[in-house]
Amino acid sequence: MRLFVAGLRKLVRRPASYVSVGLLAGLLSLILIAVGATAKQTAERPNGAAALLLVTFPQAYTLILSFILGLGGLIAVIYGAAVAGSEWNWGTLKAAVARGESRSRYALLTFASVALLIGVGLVLAFLVGTLMAVVGASLAGISTSGLSNSDALGRLPDQFGRSWIAVVEEGALGFTVATLARSQLAGIGAGIALYFGEQFASIFLPDIVKYLPFNAATAVVENAGTGGGGIIQRLEPGLALWVVLAWLFGSLFVAALFTERADISG
Amino acid sequence: MTATATTAGSSGLAVATRALHKRYGPRVALAGLDLSVPNGVVYGFLGPNGAGKTTTMRLLTGLIHADSGTIELLGRPFGQGDRRRLFEVGALIEAPAFYPFLSGRENLRALAATGAPTPWSCVDELLEVVGLTERARDRVSTYSLGMKQRLGIAAALLSDPKLLLLDEPANGLDPAGIVAMRDTLRNLASAGKTVFVSSHILGEVRQLADIVGIIAQGRLVREGPIEELLTSRGRVRVRVKQDEVGAALARLEGGGFRAVQGSTSDDGWLSVAVEGDRASEINRSLAQAGIYASALTAETDLESVFLELTGATPTGDGQRSFGSAGATTVAGQTSGQDPQ
Repeated sequence: MRLFVAGLRKLVRRPASYVSVGLLAGLLSLILIAVGATAKQTAERPNGAAALLLVTFPQAYTLILSFILGLGGLIAVIYGAAVAGSEWNWGTLKAAVARGESRSRYALLTFASVALLIGVGLVLAFLVGTLMAVVGASLAGISTSGLSNSDALGRLPDQFGRSWIAVVEEGALGFTVATLARSQLAGIGAGIALYFGEQFASIFLPDIVKYLPFNAATAVVENAGTGGGGIIQRLEPGLALWVVLAWLFGSLFVAALFTERADISG
Repeated sequence: MTATATTAGSSGLAVATRALHKRYGPRVALAGLDLSVPNGVVYGFLGPNGAGKTTTMRLLTGLIHADSGTIELLGRPFGQGDRRRLFEVGALIEAPAFYPFLSGRENLRALAATGAPTPWSCVDELLEVVGLTERARDRVSTYSLGMKQRLGIAAALLSDPKLLLLDEPANGLDPAGIVAMRDTLRNLASAGKTVFVSSHILGEVRQLADIVGIIAQGRLVREGPIEELLTSRGRVRVRVKQDEVGAALARLEGGGFRAVQGSTSDDGWLSVAVEGDRASEINRSLAQAGIYASALTAETDLESVFLELTGATPTGDGQRSFGSAGATTVAGQTSGQDPQ
């Protein structure tokens, strides 16, 4: 427990934590305000009505979550890789192991604190997104009566929980890649390459790619990630959740096993 | 690494390694290292660059695994499943490792959460011991190299270890810091703790260590009390006229001394393997043959012993080349880092 709490303390003080949440919330705000401020022009464009759903409640709830799943997933990959890679680069893993700490326990509890902080980041980003959607709706002159829609609010905890698991899985992939690379920069680079590589591959191999980690993560929330003009195939949300859990635990197992067996030098 | 039962004769040792082997690909880092570090002493671990010092330190702290051989820490076997043995060990391996965005105090607290249960109360005490109380709240990224080194020593002392493993602890310390560190380590040894110090700085080791171990090419070439080592490996350098070198060599050999001529650039210098306090006998022997020395120096210093045992030879231009790894030293201090 003390190791988990210490991990949380470290992450709370880490500039990358603030930058990650700030980037996600900032971009979300920018888009929502822009949609609201340009509503008149937006409505006249093809698919303009669909764009206005971003600031139309209750649909906005799902769309904000969808945005968080997309960009938030990429940020989670980078954040997970940064945390794991820095443990090798800065030699802090070495210092802990030389004190007799269990290697796999250290790696897993470090990731547990990352996962918790991702949850906090998602809540903050969602709250900021909702607030900015309200502002955008006001700018666009769209009613916000759907804000208190009981059906949508009732579904939120389930959707939020699924989103959290999905983003945590993406963070775990970054964490594992950086662990295998034993490097912060290499981990971040490889994580980003995997993320975009998978999106690109989905154009050519949709039946296979839908089971891959980032695509499965996008499919865990119903109606989320329906972009791509219908080209991209998605898993059914229930199955997607199982696939995401398999990737999550699989990648953490690999990270723990590698940490346990690796020679720690440098 | 295989952990076997304590071997006979190794009881009472803080560190004992037997036939320790470690390879990095084709390169042999350790080729059967046998170390015996008694309890309650300061042990100086010396060797040229690439000799295997850092590899040994990493093995002793479980960071890497040996290909074969055994390790005992504090009288008990230390293998891959014995990480709790390290609860009684404090270590500073290579450069001190900290989170740059945390303060010195926060870093020590984060480290205290790992390994042996360690109360936070000792953090402030240790910051005071290493003279960092005033900077305890500052981020480590703003610390100088010497301050990071002092924080590293504090980190090594966190769990009040019985055995302290320090890799080049004087790195980056100013003279006052070196004296303070030396006093701290001597006090720890006086309190019954064992201090294992790897260093390139021979003068520092001579002032600090009770026992030294010298490693070269992955093997221990000499181990023992420092005074005994110096006495047995003394050397006297004597300078005669260039045209009398041959006669002087013959006279010394005839008198039972083992003498060798220095390199041609040494300009009449001869080196005699003998304890420093017998320099007068050499002078007398030469004078009786009508050869008068223009200079005579006794060199019973650790540097000479180190150079002789590790196969390093003076080049005559003020620098020394280390045959085992190709690194260079000036005035007895090696430059660069261990490559392993």
